[in-house]
Amino acid sequence: MNSHTTGAVTRRSFMKASAGAAMVTGLGIPRTVNAGVTGLATMIDLSRCDGCVDFDQPRCITACRERNLSVVPEPVDPMPTLYPRGMTEDWSKKKDVTSRLTPYNFIYVQEADVEYQGEQQRVFIPRRCMHCDNPACATICPFAANHKYDNGAVVIDYDLCFGGAKCRTVCPWLIPQRQSGVGVYLKIIPELAGNGVMYKCDLCNDLLKEGKTPVCIEACPRDAMSIGPYDAIKRAAKERAAAMEGFIYGMQENGGTGTFYVSPVPFDVLNGAIETGPGKPHLGPVKRAMEAMTTLEKSVVFAPVLGIAAGIAGALKVLAGRKGGNDND
Amino acid sequence: MTDRIIEAKGVVVRHGIVELLEHWLLGLSGIVLIVSGLFQMPMPRRYYIIDIPGMAWSGDFMVTLQIHYIAAVVFIAVCLFHVVYHGMLGHTTMLPKRGDVKESIDVIKTFFGKGEEPPFHKFLPEQRIAYLGMAVIIAVLILSGIVKTYKNVFDPQMSFLWVSWATWLHNIFTALFILAFIAHIAAILLKPNLPMLRGIFYGSVRLDYAERRHPLWIAEIRGAKQPEPAPEEPLEEAEVTEAAGDVPEKAAPAGEGDTEPAESAVDLPEETPVDEGKRDATVPPPEETENKGK
Repeated sequence: MNSHTTGAVTRRSFMKASAGAAMVTGLGIPRTVNAGVTGLATMIDLSRCDGCVDFDQPRCITACRERNLSVVPEPVDPMPTLYPRGMTEDWSKKKDVTSRLTPYNFIYVQEADVEYQGEQQRVFIPRRCMHCDNPACATICPFAANHKYDNGAVVIDYDLCFGGAKCRTVCPWLIPQRQSGVGVYLKIIPELAGNGVMYKCDLCNDLLKEGKTPVCIEACPRDAMSIGPYDAIKRAAKERAAAMEGFIYGMQENGGTGTFYVSPVPFDVLNGAIETGPGKPHLGPVKRAMEAMTTLEKSVVFAPVLGIAAGIAGALKVLAGRKGGNDND
Repeated sequence: MTDRIIEAKGVVVRHGIVELLEHWLLGLSGIVLIVSGLFQMPMPRRYYIIDIPGMAWSGDFMVTLQIHYIAAVVFIAVCLFHVVYHGMLGHTTMLPKRGDVKESIDVIKTFFGKGEEPPFHKFLPEQRIAYLGMAVIIAVLILSGIVKTYKNVFDPQMSFLWVSWATWLHNIFTALFILAFIAHIAAILLKPNLPMLRGIFYGSVRLDYAERRHPLWIAEIRGAKQPEPAPEEPLEEAEVTEAAGDVPEKAAPAGEGDTEPAESAVDLPEETPVDEGKRDATVPPPEETENKGK
């Protein structure tokens, strides 16, 4: 494959995109991030990503693995037998897999060979956790082992996670990946509760705290990825998409995410061309599942008011009856 | 309250329709909350619960969460209604009294054949303590649950400190709630307590049972003199006595065993002449006596 296929066939949009890049740089967005900045977002410009065809593997993957490969401790051997279903997930002997998300691989690059507007082109799509605005994986974790921090990073606490995989079940992209035989569940009743630890991209939260840039963004030789204040990145993504007459993914999906993909090719076209499945997230439309419960959630929050009002009304009625000489509460 | 004796049927009305509704709405929504709460952990799928006919929904977190929310609205509203309604009406019979802990231990001993039960009021001392315990557990569950829900809808980036406190308090107190729930069922099934069971279904218990075991309550309903007034009452009377200088009429309904009357009686002559209007004002109105302790 040719590293400049994308650029060559969409030269016009690429040049416009470059203008967009200059604007982004003008805003001072990529590279440096201030520590303590709240609400960060990232942009991934697919018109710039060439899948690092000149390298052994995409640089973002290499950088991520250098940082995260040692995050997973060595699983116990043999793994506890799970009652009643023996459904452990073990990636410890397949650490080298970089063609999908695994507990040892938090980012990978999808390839889509598509024909769009009469042009055949290959698009590369780095995939990792989207760091959603209202991530169900974090908000409904039963043990608060997954949390969205002020800086926008959705981070799993590997010391607290039981590996029940609820976060993966409720993630529209099934991003978190389980490694069995590790984690705190081993110390409780491993046969009956828990099944390991869930792993995924944490947006290099430790680096963000120090004001540094996530390693995948730092490592990208084509500046395809950038990070910055949410609103600025959102604006930049829109400008860039407008400039290349392109499309955005991640701004509306799942109620909004912290990752904006900008592409010259529509995402439904890309979605039809990428391989999807376990550890290989789709690019289809996503409605936030808990959106449907918003009214119900507000009712829970305001239920005390309802109870208090009913209590006052009921008591006043009884008291009025008493005054009338009829104590029948 | 609705407490009254229906001699013709040989029963005592123990709970009114409001209390029965409160109890059953709480009980049923509580069970739903426990089950749907446990289903927030990935257990239905792992433990084949989803394969039980009619239980396929249990594996869908979005369904079980909605059920949890619906039950929570009922549960929270009823709890707050309970506090406000009975608080405003001054119902205090279920609140623990001084000496309840010691008396509870004595009562529990009688279940094992040691000693004899003291005469009871409407509720057993351990019922009053259990009420307070359950109230604390429920209060923590409601508060932590509301924090969690608020986060889900309004503030997904809520401080981790708040989220982890709310989450773990909710989890730990759920365990306590389940234990308290089981203890509650177990207690009513104890042989001496079993006659009270019909009360929570029909609102009334048998009069012969109540006369034997809850004589203080029956006496109160019948408006008889109370051998055991609430501990703070003599204090109040002392204050009234000093302020109004009006003693004998006030002391009389307070009952025997009180040292006040003798002392006051001595003071009385110095205070004469007593204003008739004042004297009348300090005599408790008849309804108040009837309502005492409810």
